[in-house]
Amino acid sequence: MILTGKEIEKQVKKGRITIVPFLKTSINPNSYNYHIGKTILEVSENIINPNKKTKAKKIVIDEKGFLLKPKKLYLGHTLEKIGSEDYVISLIGRSSIGRLGLFLQITADLGQIGNAHCWTLELTVIQPLWIYPGMKIGQISFWKPLGKKSLKYYGYYSKYSNPQRCKLL
Amino acid sequence: MILTGEKIKEEVGKKRITIHPFREKQLNPNSYNFTLGKTLKVYKEKTLNPKIKNEVKIIKIPAKGLVLKPDKIYLGHTTEIMGSNYYVPIIRGRSSTGRLGLFIHITSDLIDIGSINQWTLMLHPVQKIRIYPNMLIGQVTFWKVDGKINLYNGKYQGSIGPRESEIYKDFIIKK
Repeated sequence: MILTGKEIEKQVKKGRITIVPFLKTSINPNSYNYHIGKTILEVSENIINPNKKTKAKKIVIDEKGFLLKPKKLYLGHTLEKIGSEDYVISLIGRSSIGRLGLFLQITADLGQIGNAHCWTLELTVIQPLWIYPGMKIGQISFWKPLGKKSLKYYGYYSKYSNPQRCKLL
Repeated sequence: MILTGEKIKEEVGKKRITIHPFREKQLNPNSYNFTLGKTLKVYKEKTLNPKIKNEVKIIKIPAKGLVLKPDKIYLGHTTEIMGSNYYVPIIRGRSSTGRLGLFIHITSDLIDIGSINQWTLMLHPVQKIRIYPNMLIGQVTFWKVDGKINLYNGKYQGSIGPRESEIYKDFIIKK
């Protein structure tokens, strides 16, 4: 079952969902709009190899914005710390951004039950697109799980709040 | 919880789900196949900026089809008017179109409860592909909700045909 916006708000108040900072104006009928943070990693490999640490250039974007180019992969992060030990989170874009051809994740929308942190965004565009720090860029939805929650995620990426490269190696 | 095809049909009958026109043969075991409308929009400029109104041009898909190219975003639309005030719809492609490398949305599969429209599709092919009007292009699933419902009343409500991004309005409100 997916939580309505009203229910997301209720569970944030109860402390069963973490969204920090939490803005009431970012609540949708059945999701919450997150914002993009300032730090971007521009992956600078010609051929990406999961057995090696991916080379990337760190960019801090300012009010002037940053131009994303097609056929490139960028890692960004949510401004908000997001997490829940009770609900499963799915992270996607929003339609106003999808209509401009920006992917916010690459077929990896499913979060794990566990602690709260800023989430890494996997950005790629179809046409060149300007982005600005702090803009509303995507949405998260919350889902009720079925079963015991003995396995909680405290994996590779859970303790970080800046964009994290692949840690498969 | 996801609705089965039988349940979708039942809820369409009870008017708790809108799918118009509704054709029983488009029902799947746990989704409904929708079709592609005739109208596309493409942006006039190559570089897009969310702070401004990005101008578009309209293209009608001829009966003989239209070739989509990988370096452009094409905004299409469902032929069907769809939505629900009781369930959350999620859209995706069909495996038959996915196997041809066609994205039908750009990481925005989740529809707001209460958004009842012809939905805008974000078409993007990995390789060049020819598309045809009225082809079965994607599917919609319906999901049960937990909590009180506030219906969608946003800027894209009532859409007929593809709607380009109106995100520039976010920046106007801020000022």
